[in-house]
Amino acid sequence: MKLFSSRFEQVTAIVRKDFLIGLRRRATFAAMMMFALTAVASLSLSTGGAFVEPKFLAALLWVVIFFAASAGIAGTFDDEATAGTLQTLKLYADAQAILFGKMIYVFLSLTVLTIFILPIFLILFDVVVERFFLLLATIFFGLIGIAAAGTLTAALTTSATVRGGLFPILLFPITLPIFLPAISLTEISLTGDAFDMSSLVIIATFDLILITASSILYDYL
Amino acid sequence: MIIFDDVSLSFGRHALFKNISLNLHGGQVIGITGANGAGKSTFLKLAGKIIRPDSGEVKLPAAKNIAAVSPEMKIYDNLTAEENLFFFAKLRGKTLSTENIFKLGGRVGLDFKTFGNVRAENFSTGMRQRLKFAILLSVDADIWLLDEPTANLDDDGRDKFFNEIQAAKSKKIILLATNDNAEEKICDEIIQLPL
Repeated sequence: MKLFSSRFEQVTAIVRKDFLIGLRRRATFAAMMMFALTAVASLSLSTGGAFVEPKFLAALLWVVIFFAASAGIAGTFDDEATAGTLQTLKLYADAQAILFGKMIYVFLSLTVLTIFILPIFLILFDVVVERFFLLLATIFFGLIGIAAAGTLTAALTTSATVRGGLFPILLFPITLPIFLPAISLTEISLTGDAFDMSSLVIIATFDLILITASSILYDYL
Repeated sequence: MIIFDDVSLSFGRHALFKNISLNLHGGQVIGITGANGAGKSTFLKLAGKIIRPDSGEVKLPAAKNIAAVSPEMKIYDNLTAEENLFFFAKLRGKTLSTENIFKLGGRVGLDFKTFGNVRAENFSTGMRQRLKFAILLSVDADIWLLDEPTANLDDDGRDKFFNEIQAAKSKKIILLATNDNAEEKICDEIIQLPL
């Protein structure tokens, strides 16, 4: 129990520290937000108010989230390694606490990004959400998966010499099993068609697999 | 006690350590000396399990509580001195009161009343060194890894550092990598690394 509370304290301290630094540096948040905003605004303008298929809109939303996330997550470990603080952090904190602290920070950052971009997306494309809670659940589980896969990939690529290019290349195939059901569920939430819970269960199961695999692998990095 | 059991480590074709076996006992300051490139800093990293050897094993006491002052161990530039201190102490389950922080500041010669809310990016190298030392003291570590700890300190800073080391050494395992005569003088035992 003591070990658990100690790890919990470490995780919360790391999340708090990352948010504090993220807000002070602003560069990462700004890059994520501006990418998402630019992509959504330019695509919306290019359609000129014409009807866009819900399937296309659903895919577009997740593509924007994926690339905006890529712009932000890559620096999770990289910035610390470049600044020389990662070694200090590894000395003072438990490895699992670092992993989960970073993962929660990434998840919360992506949540903030989605809260920012989703209303803009819905307004600019004039979309009516038929199944709002399904959309929220899909985004929630989808973001958990991206955060888990992204944090592990960021940790893996920190020591690589071409990490900037390597990160999205590695992240895409890992997150593909999340994207496909997420796009399908997002489309259903826009059309209001009947849906099968199994797609949501697939995303949640894959989230669990990613979190467990990250936890096991991180000790060997 | 820290045990090096048949430890080997190479960088490329260069074998830095080959089949090293030794026991590092507590209650004393153990100096690690050697020419540049002999592997003093790497030896400390192995001792703290910050890096893994290619073969062999480094065994630490059951409750691993290590802290370090090293040029390679950086603090967060975007956090204030107080936030840095509070963060690292929190990682070791310690919540520092303002009074604790001021006391630690007094021990290392860093005035937290004046500089506590200043971001570390504005600190001189010597002030960063003092802050790192305050972090080390705050977590009450059992094992101290010190890599040229007084390199950027003035006389007052060096005195404070040496006094703390002398006062703490009976209850700690202190490894001090150095090429500095004054630092070597406070060591009870010296391990000379060959190049």
